[in-house]
Amino acid sequence: MDVSQAVASRRSVRQFRPDPVDPEVLRRVLTKAQRSPSGSNIQPWHAVVLTGEPLARLQLAVAAEFPKGRAGHSIPFHMNPVGIDGIYRERLFGVGESLYAALEISRDDKAGRLRQYARNYKGFGAPVMMLVHTKAYMGQAQWADIGMWLQTVMLLLREEGLDSCPQLCWADYTKQVRACVAMPDDHVFYCGISIGYREAEAAVNTFDVPRAVLDDVVRFEGF
Amino acid sequence: MNVADAVASRRSVRAFLDTPVDPAALRRVMEAAQMAPSGCNYQPWEATILTGAPLRELQAKMLAAPFQQPEEYAITPVDVPAEYPRRLKEIGAARAKAEGIDEADKAARADVVRQNFVSFGAPVVLMCYMPRVMGPPQWSDVGMWLQTVMLLLRGEGLDSCPQEFMAMHGKLIKEFIGVSDESHILFCGMAIGHANPEAICNTYQRTRIPVDSAVRYLGFD
Repeated sequence: MDVSQAVASRRSVRQFRPDPVDPEVLRRVLTKAQRSPSGSNIQPWHAVVLTGEPLARLQLAVAAEFPKGRAGHSIPFHMNPVGIDGIYRERLFGVGESLYAALEISRDDKAGRLRQYARNYKGFGAPVMMLVHTKAYMGQAQWADIGMWLQTVMLLLREEGLDSCPQLCWADYTKQVRACVAMPDDHVFYCGISIGYREAEAAVNTFDVPRAVLDDVVRFEGF
Repeated sequence: MNVADAVASRRSVRAFLDTPVDPAALRRVMEAAQMAPSGCNYQPWEATILTGAPLRELQAKMLAAPFQQPEEYAITPVDVPAEYPRRLKEIGAARAKAEGIDEADKAARADVVRQNFVSFGAPVVLMCYMPRVMGPPQWSDVGMWLQTVMLLLRGEGLDSCPQEFMAMHGKLIKEFIGVSDESHILFCGMAIGHANPEAICNTYQRTRIPVDSAVRYLGFD
């Protein structure tokens, strides 16, 4: 698959088919992704890939906490930056409203929206989930390296016909995640990423995902 | 070019030809890269891309100025154990060996560092920055976007080198391109152009840790 096709066809898939993922394909993708760049060649990414029984156990552990709402969350994670400009909220609401419109869940339907949100913690039906973590002392630059690696993984998955959905929301249940996979104490948990095959016709997988206009984020000088 | 080839053939190119970059190809890459993912769809990345006279003027200013203290952010983490510097040493040694440079030759090593100022002769340099309020997950998003750009550049037959080096001149760069130092932090530069295929620094075997040191599998039979 052409790189540009992989970039354009990658989307956060929120409804997966139950079809299993060939472990050999996953190993191939993750081996190739080791070539991803990092400042000072530090390669700060760590991951645990789950399927079957361990994955079901994690989902059950989180499902037990979910009805408690915020009270069930672990130590608050730096997920939402403090003092962020309105433009970023607009971008979030933009994609959120597109998603709920595609699912025909109205703004007043709080229960419907919560049900959709809860699907995050079933990995949207994906048979595989990868949990990403790193050493606690890693700084901003190393977090960027982890992002480079993650996108490398997601694009290589596209080439294998696979889809993914990176999910920051798992960080709210860091305690359950850590316990389920025996994450080392000196690591911080970053995100989950669901992996599988997309339900191609699902409305949640086909709506137009809005993006900022290029000229709002990139300037060209001297051309 | 397929994804696997783009990932495998992308390397930090440290010697560029003076062949100009087609602005239309660059624009295509940047447009396509907007589809990179980000948590909450924040798209926290921002950039200014320089070429020609403005780039040369900026490079002259950087060469004439002392590095800022401290740098924009800690380029290497504080309290990092030896395991990580070893990874840098390994790849540095691989390069020095290929080029026949004595690792103890301080002058030769200083010259390698100086090449950063002029982005290894690349005709185009991208400066990447973001609002200071962004936290670790948003830095990761910026990384996803940068790698998207680097892989799409490969698809256009172009090469790149991300340069955290620019964090040592972040304030100067931001002042030059008219970005507020108060509101924004500069992450890195990125040299963009055509690799010199003959240069040894572009051909030595790069080192990585084995995948099993980074990834575990649970529940697979």
